[in-house]
Amino acid sequence: MSVCYKLFVYFKEHKYYGKQKLSGKGEWMMEKATVVVIGGGATGVGILRDLAMRGVDVLLVEKCDLVNGASSRYHGLLHSGGRYAVKDQEAARECIIENQILRKIGKSCVEATGGMFVRLDIDDPDYEPQWVKGCADSGIKAEPITLEQAFRLEPLLSKHVVSAYLVPDAAIDGFRMSWQNVESAKRYGGRFKTYREVVDVLQQNGEIQGVTVRNTITGEIEEIACDILVNAAGGWAGKVAALAGLEVGVQPDKGTLLAFNQRITSHVVNRLHKSSDGDIFVPHGSITILGTSSMSIPDPEDTSTSREEVENLLSIGEKTFENLRDYRMLRAFAGSRPLYMPPGGASGRGASRGFAIVDHGKDDGLKGMMTIVGGKFTTYRLMAEKISNQICEKLNVKEPCRTAEEPLVPEVAENDKKEARKYFPAYGTDLAATRLGPERFSRVVEDLKSHPEKRELVCECENVTLAEVEEIAKELSSFQINDIRRRTRIGMGTCQANFCALRSAAVFAKCGRDKGAKDSLGQMKQFLQGRWKGIRPVLVGRTLREIEMTRALYELSFHVDGGKKA
Amino acid sequence: MKHSDTIVIGSGLAGLMAAYTSVRQGKTVTLLTTGSGSLSLNSGVIDVLGFDGNHEFVASPKEGIKSLPEDHPYKKIGMDMLEKAVDEFLAFTKEYGFPYHGSLEKQIMVPTAVGTMKPTCLAPQSLDGAAFEGKSKVVIVGISGLKDFYGDIIQENIRPLLGENLSYEVVMVDAGLEGGRDVTTLDAARWLDQDKGMAALVNALKPHASGNAVFLLPQILGTSGESVAIALREKLGAEVIETTCLPPSVNGLRLQKMFHQALMKLGVDIIEDTKVLRAVTKGSKCTAVVAQAAAREKTYEADKFILATGGFYSGGITMREFEKPREMIFDLPVWFVPGEENWSNEQLFSDKPQGFAKTGIRTDESLRPVDDSGKVVFDNVYVIGRNLGGYDFCFEHSGNGVALASAYKAVMM
Repeated sequence: MSVCYKLFVYFKEHKYYGKQKLSGKGEWMMEKATVVVIGGGATGVGILRDLAMRGVDVLLVEKCDLVNGASSRYHGLLHSGGRYAVKDQEAARECIIENQILRKIGKSCVEATGGMFVRLDIDDPDYEPQWVKGCADSGIKAEPITLEQAFRLEPLLSKHVVSAYLVPDAAIDGFRMSWQNVESAKRYGGRFKTYREVVDVLQQNGEIQGVTVRNTITGEIEEIACDILVNAAGGWAGKVAALAGLEVGVQPDKGTLLAFNQRITSHVVNRLHKSSDGDIFVPHGSITILGTSSMSIPDPEDTSTSREEVENLLSIGEKTFENLRDYRMLRAFAGSRPLYMPPGGASGRGASRGFAIVDHGKDDGLKGMMTIVGGKFTTYRLMAEKISNQICEKLNVKEPCRTAEEPLVPEVAENDKKEARKYFPAYGTDLAATRLGPERFSRVVEDLKSHPEKRELVCECENVTLAEVEEIAKELSSFQINDIRRRTRIGMGTCQANFCALRSAAVFAKCGRDKGAKDSLGQMKQFLQGRWKGIRPVLVGRTLREIEMTRALYELSFHVDGGKKA
Repeated sequence: MKHSDTIVIGSGLAGLMAAYTSVRQGKTVTLLTTGSGSLSLNSGVIDVLGFDGNHEFVASPKEGIKSLPEDHPYKKIGMDMLEKAVDEFLAFTKEYGFPYHGSLEKQIMVPTAVGTMKPTCLAPQSLDGAAFEGKSKVVIVGISGLKDFYGDIIQENIRPLLGENLSYEVVMVDAGLEGGRDVTTLDAARWLDQDKGMAALVNALKPHASGNAVFLLPQILGTSGESVAIALREKLGAEVIETTCLPPSVNGLRLQKMFHQALMKLGVDIIEDTKVLRAVTKGSKCTAVVAQAAAREKTYEADKFILATGGFYSGGITMREFEKPREMIFDLPVWFVPGEENWSNEQLFSDKPQGFAKTGIRTDESLRPVDDSGKVVFDNVYVIGRNLGGYDFCFEHSGNGVALASAYKAVMM
């Protein structure tokens, strides 16, 4: 039984809230929005932005922090569509079009690495011509290159490669892209609330009235009224639908990935064969992500990873890069793809990577409720556009979609960057500029200028200054160090928080707005525990070395567990 | 070809103690070391046993050791040897001017950089939390620009431990160290090594001083010995005490420096920047080790070999693939806990030891490596410190104690 459902039952039984109170004395000032979007993944924030830009009053609720589900728990690949060129050409065509759009609107989130498809001598040769034709039919440019060229571009490639093609794949930062959507939406009046879990869907006479949400930190219950409710909860969409008494066929499908501490490739490297586990390498900044597996799971909360999954990925991955095991693994992580299962459809890799919009007013007689499921990160904007079109039609809003033309964030002025270079670590400037966006960036630069002590690096691995950590720690949406991590990348690099756990806990205790921020030991432990979760399945090789240090510092030298004991 | 009575490989605490004890026994000793040892990462206080297998606080390490399982290194070492090792170490620190104190009967509580109190067995005076006893005011001293010392969280966390009847304040001192690269505790300690640094600190703290005050500082009271701590205590007329800290550990470096001085004085041949690659063996004896020097390989012969290359952290033991651990020089059998479910606990800070942390070499009562059947692999090779298996030094707070005692015993065998 999911946590969500348990709570639902608990509160139902205890009459903690409900329509009685809602329609009772009427003494509550109830929050209202025309549209409430459930789910702070890429799809949800995409809808938030799209609707806000068209002038719709929209509010997004998320039960955790933004971008906590599959939108960050994937390999960060901006698909060219090549992967779907044989099996699913509609998805492939959507990918290549959106690929070009996202490069344009989200310039700072995309690392234009280019992609390579390589066929190994063990792969089916008959697949290659099908794939070449599929790419051509889908409008994806696949340029054949010689093996000599391939090895020059990717020197670590296995010598078992027999043919290679270049495609317009790229790496994309899911955290940053999603937050930039939110920033953009905010400029147009869009609102969001994190750590709010929907525990009930309020309806009357077959019409949506609103939702009841529980603050997952304080436990407080609040109600939000709306005319239209959008279920964009990804892997959780089936559970949200169930709260409204509806059924939506979503199969959470777990994908496990490995992050390596080095940049093993400079291109996205895909195996040219029928899509399978462990056959894509995506370089990001100073790391490489290898993924993924595909496993149907009952509960989307299950992001556990096992040694077996790690071994599987490694043994497949080392076909493409033979020395793979000599690279240090930073961590393993998993996310659940929200695969849409129309009645009688296929599951797992067989299931479509396409998306579906369900209008529950038409299908189930619940007016004002819609669900969007399926799809993939690369097509999040298109998904948002499609459903927003339908919503606007209902609301009689005539504004067209502009999300494909307008950049997510205004560019940081060159002058600001020039100024910043005086204070930032050399290559940290552009990274910080893209993470922070223009307003925050200029505040941080000003802070660095007037407070030299804030130039100190809290995270040396990812080049994050004290001023930047303070800027994010102060925000109302920061409840845990992990929330700061997702925004700044502290703790995500080589040392996996060995040094920044102490520092960020101290900064958060000083600047955090939430009262939980003051519990520095608890925050520190929680932050390190989050890192530990991903480290455990890869606790081998040089990762062992790193964790010996973590424990020697925090367990032995700082005795963080000992506040009350000894 | 060089011949010594004893070759010690590795210069962490275990290796240094083994070399020192050995040369004191009149042996000719060669110490081979790849890097500078791990003492810059080591708090330099000697934990013997802080917590038992159930994570209960151990009030007396001597008593606590009795309940340890039979395969724990302390059980092989024996109480007699542990006591002698402690005596030898205390005498050494006294002789070389940086005295440690404490005993196996009770714990010293050391304040940490996060404001908790950590149990240890032997420590220099400047890290002994007994300084708080009977005092009414705690002055936490931060140094402007010093990284990794956060007075506010120390205050917040130490209050419930020391009590609300004491008063607390945080004082920031400008050491003029800002404006360049990051400032570490080592920079601040070097500043205090100089008279003008000391004078500036005394000036800044004097207004807060009184007989019933304790000054709690980052680990910055000088880069060697305890002269800076003593001088500051006298000049302020108040207790001064340091916390443990993120690396570099100034106190670990003080201990390392003192060992180096002693080893040089006593004629130990210390060969740095040399990586021991393999052993030369004859039957059940090791006759020499081959090491990589700058340009070529070099062979070192000896009658006795003491392995102190460390565990996963220092690379003495590695595990490239799951369940395939390796000892890198002698290729000794490495014991480990099999099975993914036993390898690590769900919680990083757990109420039971971490399986992986117990990985290491099993030995006989003389600390010679044994195979799965308990048979001694080499007659003249001894294994000490983090190379030993069967204990989780972080969970137990026992690392430096095992290092000292195993080093002492290996020499005496």
